Amino acid sequence: MKNNLLAGNVVETQDLTKTFGEDIALQSLNMQVPRGTIFGFVGPSGCGKTTTVRLLTGFYKPTSGTLSVLGKNPADFSDSDREKIGYLIQQFVLYPDLTVWENLNFAASFYGVGLFRWGRLNKLLDFVELAGDKNKLARDLSGGMKRRLSLAAALVHNPELLFLDEPTAGIDPILRRKFWDYFKELQAEGHTLFITTQYVGEAAYCDLVGVMYGGRLLMIETPDGLRRKAYGGDVIGIRTNEPIRFEHRHQLESLPFVRGKVKIVSDQEVEVIVDESSTAIQLLLEWCRAQKLTVEMMEQKSPPFDDVFIRIIETEIANE
Amino acid sequence: MNRIFKSLIRISSFLGKEMTEIFRQPRLILTLVLGPFLIMFLFGLGYPDQNRTLRTTFVTTDPDTFQKEMNIFTKSFNSKIFDYVIESDKELALAKLALNQTDLVIVVPDVPFETIKNNQQAEFLIYHNEVDPIQIAYIQSVARILVDEVNRQILQSMAEQGQADSGSLQTDLETAIAKTHALRQAVPAGNVTTATQAADLENDLTNVHENLTTFRSLSSGILVSPFSAKIIGLFEVQLTVTGFFAPAVIVLLLQHVSITFASLSIVRETRSGIMELFRVAPIKAFETLVGKYLSYLFFEIILAGVITALAVRLLRIPILGSLQDYALAVVVLLFTSLGVGFLISLISQTDTQAVQYSMLLMLASIFFSGFFLDLRLMKAPITVLAWSLPATYGIRMLQDIMLRGSSAPLLVFLGIAGIGIVLFLINWRLLKKTMES
Repeated sequence: MKNNLLAGNVVETQDLTKTFGEDIALQSLNMQVPRGTIFGFVGPSGCGKTTTVRLLTGFYKPTSGTLSVLGKNPADFSDSDREKIGYLIQQFVLYPDLTVWENLNFAASFYGVGLFRWGRLNKLLDFVELAGDKNKLARDLSGGMKRRLSLAAALVHNPELLFLDEPTAGIDPILRRKFWDYFKELQAEGHTLFITTQYVGEAAYCDLVGVMYGGRLLMIETPDGLRRKAYGGDVIGIRTNEPIRFEHRHQLESLPFVRGKVKIVSDQEVEVIVDESSTAIQLLLEWCRAQKLTVEMMEQKSPPFDDVFIRIIETEIANE
Repeated sequence: MNRIFKSLIRISSFLGKEMTEIFRQPRLILTLVLGPFLIMFLFGLGYPDQNRTLRTTFVTTDPDTFQKEMNIFTKSFNSKIFDYVIESDKELALAKLALNQTDLVIVVPDVPFETIKNNQQAEFLIYHNEVDPIQIAYIQSVARILVDEVNRQILQSMAEQGQADSGSLQTDLETAIAKTHALRQAVPAGNVTTATQAADLENDLTNVHENLTTFRSLSSGILVSPFSAKIIGLFEVQLTVTGFFAPAVIVLLLQHVSITFASLSIVRETRSGIMELFRVAPIKAFETLVGKYLSYLFFEIILAGVITALAVRLLRIPILGSLQDYALAVVVLLFTSLGVGFLISLISQTDTQAVQYSMLLMLASIFFSGFFLDLRLMKAPITVLAWSLPATYGIRMLQDIMLRGSSAPLLVFLGIAGIGIVLFLINWRLLKKTMES
């Protein structure tokens, strides 16, 4: 376990499984979360993301398998280990009849933060942009403000490792973007963030993404790696002034660095999957010139993560 | 040291949180302080220290004669007991009773002296329309008093008649004594037997005369009721109804507030989901529980202080014992009641369930704590239930301290403190289980 720590993993699991009676909530999860990363845990509702977080925080005990968080089994966490962990629960669980400040102060107390903490609390409220609302009762806050307050409460003891369970669920896209800005800032300060989300598009903000489906971890990749895995390579879009005919497409598919079928976008535009975009673009330009096709546009495409995710799931279902 | 300091900070988190939540509800505090005070005040107004006056219809065949007798009767009898009318129609009187227009119908015996002469008791028939056993007992006792009083008056008038009649008898006796004396003087010397008989007769007549003198000198009231009873309490303060019930009301209120607050406390947190956060955070079950106990104790001690001050200052409820004893009894009552509340909170699935349990306990406390029925009247097995309620101990302790001026009975104090400690340990274990499972 120590080796993993030296290697910089703050979380490591091996064949981690959790069942509730006959239901398998999580099946043989194997993963490593390197220190200082934003690790995104993506998957549809009910796929086992929260169960995983609860196992990692020590809320659940595993049915089988091993896990290590900050070098220890969560079941053996000491007080000081727990102080290194911040946890944002999916729903708002703070007290509606307390003000923003009082809730934050309460959270600081139950984490044992020293009495001279006003400066830190104010700083946190500035960070989540709630400084002007600190005397508002929590019940009077909007959904987004509640999430920001919960985030501040999770950060109040300056934890090393943050588990954020669907922090952006149910909030508008602008605020979601802002949250990811917060997360990037936290990462820059040295925190490791383990974030679950069902907005697969948010995978783009992560350093590593774990894709969950039906209680299983399908893969862990970088966002680009995820696209590559989903499509079998990089996607390159080509638009020409002339129509791209059937024989052109047939020839494209027979090129050695092109993978699979050519996707027709319009008469004059197609998308091809290649092994490596950096070398393939030059070769494709040469091929167009040879075919007397005038290239209006040729660039690497970044398919939306929604599409990436659907493709991965479809492949998974097909393989089953 | 750092660990202890952090632990204290974690305990303090609940102290601040719970207090803020409570003090954010001024109407709740106002209700808690003024509510019981107003209840005691209205109770005192509503139940003055006098017996209930019974709206009574006396049914007799001779209303005029009976009215004269009643005028004499009410002179000696507590006239506040009966607010009466005299009727000759029994059916009409009973109809009014059935409609609750009157409280009693007393049918006076028709020819009482004839009945008595026939060696039978003359019977008053007393009809009522009560269902409350306490009111029925009151009517039974009033009926007994009525009959005793009638009997006493008849005996007294007979005694007075006897005393008057004995006046002429006494004169005759004096003559007889003088004649006997003369007879004894006239007995010839040597006739010892006759002289002795005359002397004995004279002595007997003198004794009868003396007894008759005594009989005539005694008041007729003393003659028919030679004994009376005087009730003397060991404590000197004359209590009003409010004064008697005040300690019990304070105890019930403090128990109820403690149980209600505590019973909602943990179940709400379990349902809100914040327990999940507690379980991940370094805070322990012990710290959580101690924090909660302290916060509610702190608030309720203030509440008890204000209620007591209002009761003492405005309602003139006495505290004859020491204030330290009173404070100690209140603190141990609150501690144990909080234990009951937290237990409810830990075994309840929902807020509603917790409120239901609290209400049931309140009801049980009213019936079994000795609040209005003396515990000595209760059958032995049921007293186990009574002595499992903090209110039972609380009422006993506060009544002794406030009304008798003594300390709380040691066994009672140890009993409630023991229950409180056991409840704390059970709650600690249950909360630990909740936070770990």
